[in-house]
Amino acid sequence: MPVPSNSSLPTHPSRRRVLSLAGAGVLGVVMAGCGAEEDPLAQQANTGDEKGYIAGDGTVSEYAPDQRGEPVQFSGTLFDGTELSAEDLRGKPALLNFWYAACPPCRVEAPDLAELAQQFEGQIAFYGVNLRDDQATAEAFERTFGIPYPSFEDKDGKVVMALNAYVPPRAVPTTLVLDAQGRVAARILGIADRSILETLLEDTVAETA
Amino acid sequence: MSTTSSRQSTPEDTPGRGPRGSSPTGPGKNPGDVELPALGPVGMARWAWAQLTKMNTALFLLLLLAVAAVPGSTFPQRIQDTGAVADYIDANPTLGPWLDRLQFFDVFSSVWFSAIYILLFVSLVGCVLPRAGKHWRAWRAQPPRTPKRLERLPEHRRLVLGGPADAPAPDEVVAQAARLLGKRGYRVAVRDTGGPAPSVAAERGMWKEVGNVVFHLALLGVLVSVAVGSLFGFKGQKILVEGDSFANSLINYDAFIPGTNYDPDQLEPFSLTLENFEVEFYRDTAVPSQYGTPVDFTAEVTVQQPGGQPRQETLKVNAPVNVDGVKSFLIGNGYAPLIRVTDGNGDVAFEGPVVGIPSDGVYTSSLVLKVPDAAPDQLGFTGLLLPTAVTGADGLPRSADPGLANPKLILSSYSGDLGLDSGVPQNVYALDVEGLTELNGMLTPDGPITLDAAGPVYELPQGKGSIEFLDVKRYVGLDIVYDPGRTGAFVSFVLAFTGLLMSMFIARRRLWVRASKGVDKDGAPTTILEYGLLARGEDPRLAAEAQRLGELFTQQWGTAPPPADAAAHPKTSRAHSGPAHT
Repeated sequence: MPVPSNSSLPTHPSRRRVLSLAGAGVLGVVMAGCGAEEDPLAQQANTGDEKGYIAGDGTVSEYAPDQRGEPVQFSGTLFDGTELSAEDLRGKPALLNFWYAACPPCRVEAPDLAELAQQFEGQIAFYGVNLRDDQATAEAFERTFGIPYPSFEDKDGKVVMALNAYVPPRAVPTTLVLDAQGRVAARILGIADRSILETLLEDTVAETA
Repeated sequence: MSTTSSRQSTPEDTPGRGPRGSSPTGPGKNPGDVELPALGPVGMARWAWAQLTKMNTALFLLLLLAVAAVPGSTFPQRIQDTGAVADYIDANPTLGPWLDRLQFFDVFSSVWFSAIYILLFVSLVGCVLPRAGKHWRAWRAQPPRTPKRLERLPEHRRLVLGGPADAPAPDEVVAQAARLLGKRGYRVAVRDTGGPAPSVAAERGMWKEVGNVVFHLALLGVLVSVAVGSLFGFKGQKILVEGDSFANSLINYDAFIPGTNYDPDQLEPFSLTLENFEVEFYRDTAVPSQYGTPVDFTAEVTVQQPGGQPRQETLKVNAPVNVDGVKSFLIGNGYAPLIRVTDGNGDVAFEGPVVGIPSDGVYTSSLVLKVPDAAPDQLGFTGLLLPTAVTGADGLPRSADPGLANPKLILSSYSGDLGLDSGVPQNVYALDVEGLTELNGMLTPDGPITLDAAGPVYELPQGKGSIEFLDVKRYVGLDIVYDPGRTGAFVSFVLAFTGLLMSMFIARRRLWVRASKGVDKDGAPTTILEYGLLARGEDPRLAAEAQRLGELFTQQWGTAPPPADAAAHPKTSRAHSGPAHT
């Protein structure tokens, strides 16, 4: 069938083009909304590996002295039965490492933590916070890696819950560095890189001196 | 939606595109041609908008949404079972990754699924809002004017009122009719009083359209609520052994699926302790087939919120514990034997519960225990817990009952490097035995390890240590879910259902009553009452309403025998669509 009017022809392609542009625009908006880079948390949820813990990707957050929150408040019981609260840690910097024995990344960083604890002895108080183990299991871990510092028995989640109000531990392992006033100076989610942690600890010691 | 459906014609409907275009004068020269106006961007947008908000488009999108949801039931979905998706991709190395790229394992959050429902969403909004505005104006307007020829309406009746002596005045009839109709739920407007033919215009069923609009808006509400839930909610899993606690912090979850915009620093702070967990099994021997099936699950938990007193709650299947909107559902349970492993050096390398995964109705549970801190060699165990161990006819042990009458562990043991020290995440419910040395197993000289109350300790061969079976605890599997859209979705659903019922069962009708003076066949003065009804949409009860109104009017005034012409056509054909009301 002949085309009735030439003059009407050009409008059709342009109409189609505008439509497809509009369509691409809508799709673009949708994709920008939903297809953005998945965060690591969603990513590990999607692997379905049944590893049984929430892993961290080594993210380091460091807080300058004027940007730190309130001094943390918590209390808990060490495996040897000692009751200890955050108040007892004030006066010098402290390190809190959240772990359990069967967690693979905890086992990777354990030797470094043991060495750093020796290196900063007297300058920084190291404490572990054990999330899942019974005493014997935790002590076996400490024996394996020669961990010189004590750990809180936190199967009841008391310490974790108290710290949630400040800078929450979000992965296993998590390492928190507290300054002399008990404020969170740094947080590492996942395996603590030895040199990074060492620098963080040195900085915290330096600002105290 | 139909009101917008015919608003725009497609370009093909434009005159001049027909066969007439093939006139000898040639294309473009035909004087009969109407040139298509070139649509600018604004006209284009208007055209696209009109297309999108058509009812056809909405229905098509709805259908498309249903079709797009099909892969969600044919392929494993991450929101339901991430493990199944991983297995599927492993089993289909070529197709799997492509399906994954095309988001077939995340259908309901995929780009293409979202595109369809967002378009549907826009289509509904674009349709419902103008329609709601139109109805609002219609509601505020008077009922439409009385048509001249009531006999053309689908239902039409004509009554001659009163006898020769007491024929009521038309104005009075109309006023009285208005009152009667008002009582029947019509809104009325009396017109032309004082004239020769005063009338009442009446309309009812305005709520039908309200129901319709509410239905559509509530559908949007459902969509928004679901979106809110998937954006800001989360779902996590945690296995909790009797006596253990769970603090609602990311660090304590076994698995966690965040909403798209979820901020994990904002978890509701609370802790939940599993004090006791009871499973009630069916114990009536009269029904052997039911014997031993679980009847009821009851978990006693203590909930503690910061600054609050601990409170006792009971957790049951479908009765979650709710802490400020975060709901903990009981979704699984099983046995966790307490085991102590002593290593080759004589130190206790592990002590604690080992979660067993039940694989059948009698809770035969598979166990995996990794002891990475055993020295000098790491130890691994796999095997079964039989809650009520018996020896079967084939001489093999099996569990006869889900209760804990004779718990027995049957284990294989391994020594070597478990691979945990490399930092690579492992499935906690599987032991990779490659690279391990089997100490005990079906084929080893010593056979598998069996532990029960009579013999709870076993010395591993080659002086690798020992294992002791201490006790059995129960555990629960919890789904901890926060869905901020849940209430909204429920309210929206109720509203949608109500709206649907309203739009289905409320009849929208228009009715006009006109009274005038007349004379009967004897020449005596009478009053003639004439009324007609018009349904908007399907209304099978329109004739019944006309009948009922006739009875009411007759009762009010009494009737003379109907005039001859009225008897000839007591009601007009339904074929008429009535006056031009749309």
